[in-house]
Amino acid sequence: MSIQATSVPQLSPTYRLQWEEAQNMFVLLYPEGLIELNQSSAEILQVCDGKNNVTDIVSALEKKFDTTGLENDINNFLNTALGNGWITQSA
Amino acid sequence: MAGSLKAPSPPRWLLAELTYACPLQCPYCSNPLDYANFTNELNTDEWKRVLKQSRKMGAVQLGFSGGEPLVRKDLTELVSYSHDLGYYINLITSGYNMDEAKIIELKEAGLDHIQISLQASSKELNDYIAGTESFEHKKVVAKLIKKHDYPMVLCVVLHRENIHQMKDILEMAIELDADFVELANTQYYGWAHHNRDQLMPTQEQLQEAEAIAKEYQESQAGKMKIYYVIPDYFENRPKACMNGWGTTFLTIAPDGLALPCHSARQLPNFECPSVRDNSISEIWNESTAFNYFRGDDWMKEPCRSCPEKDKDFGGCHCQAFLLTGDATNADPVCDLSPLHHLVTDAIEQAAMTAAEKPLVFRNSKNSKVF
Ligand code: SF4
Ligand code: SF4
Repeated sequence: MSIQATSVPQLSPTYRLQWEEAQNMFVLLYPEGLIELNQSSAEILQVCDGKNNVTDIVSALEKKFDTTGLENDINNFLNTALGNGWITQSA
Repeated sequence: MAGSLKAPSPPRWLLAELTYACPLQCPYCSNPLDYANFTNELNTDEWKRVLKQSRKMGAVQLGFSGGEPLVRKDLTELVSYSHDLGYYINLITSGYNMDEAKIIELKEAGLDHIQISLQASSKELNDYIAGTESFEHKKVVAKLIKKHDYPMVLCVVLHRENIHQMKDILEMAIELDADFVELANTQYYGWAHHNRDQLMPTQEQLQEAEAIAKEYQESQAGKMKIYYVIPDYFENRPKACMNGWGTTFLTIAPDGLALPCHSARQLPNFECPSVRDNSISEIWNESTAFNYFRGDDWMKEPCRSCPEKDKDFGGCHCQAFLLTGDATNADPVCDLSPLHHLVTDAIEQAAMTAAEKPLVFRNSKNSKVF
């Protein structure tokens, strides 16, 4: 199971993405667990809204950060996220 | 003040042990043996103050446990208050006395997840270990938890008496549609330490259980997450206790004592501070208890010069105290510890004497003896 350019990733219902003021970062919360996210992971998860496909996500983030060549990093992260169950994907 | 001078990292986890009262009597309970002496429970407003101050410092994962947290009449009120503060809220319960109305009420108040524990996969053994008839009811409750769309962790504490049911336990977890399964072998604190000989599994039992856990981890991948934890007596390195003392976890006992680790109350090195006398930030940043094992100034050999000291921080200090009488010793689970034989002896002793001793169940009558 790996992520495709056309698939639409979405945060799994068991996970919650939340901004933590005290720590100045986004965290991912789930039953008895807490993952502290670095900035790029948090940026990607925020656009996994169940509407954007992977291609949309790449272009949205490249536009936001005024850069190119993010595709590989984003794919790698999404595959990890999928493997960990943080996100689900639909075609 | 011991430890490093650097400002400590903020607490991320708050474990609120709301009460020591519990309708069950598990002989592996990690509550203190003399829990019956601590009757002066925090009231609702005191808990709210703790929740608010801890959240402000950075705590975001919140566990309501006990004892049995459902015993507290103000549970829903506390859940709702915590939800408004932005906590992710876990309820750690035996499921006893839970009903559908309560499950709905808690959901509406903002409860995020329920961990329900069963004692075994058969009624007979479950009810024996729990000391209370509860098996059928727990299964009904587990189904209701899923019906109302909570993520559910099913927890079964493993030991000599039930570890042979591993396969049936996992089948039961599938039947109950658990999202996560926690199959943790007993760790020997509190009542479990007292019943250690009777609870300690054999090496053969562990090997068999581990193989089954692995098989199910593979076949359930992507559907159900299975955590299997072996008793650390059978490891040769200790666990990094509490992710490092005073770095992440804050436990508040029913009587308001703030504990860096749930068994810290028994350590003679310091008095644990009470939330009745101090704010959470004073407790976390300034108390002797929370600073005691921060950093590595407190370490003795072999930990002090050990290249692995940043990985396990010398192991569990409460275990070092329980087994060696000195909490600043290396956790004797470590095979570099000169006292490691205490652990291997305990395993041998259990193998020889388990059959001769009865389990001592956790209840107020037995607690008053300690
Ligand atoms: S381990 Fe058993 S006896 Fe102890 S608090 Fe939990 S349910 Fe009650
Ligand atoms: S000697 Fe101490 S620091 Fe080194 S591995 Fe053992 S317990 Fe950990």
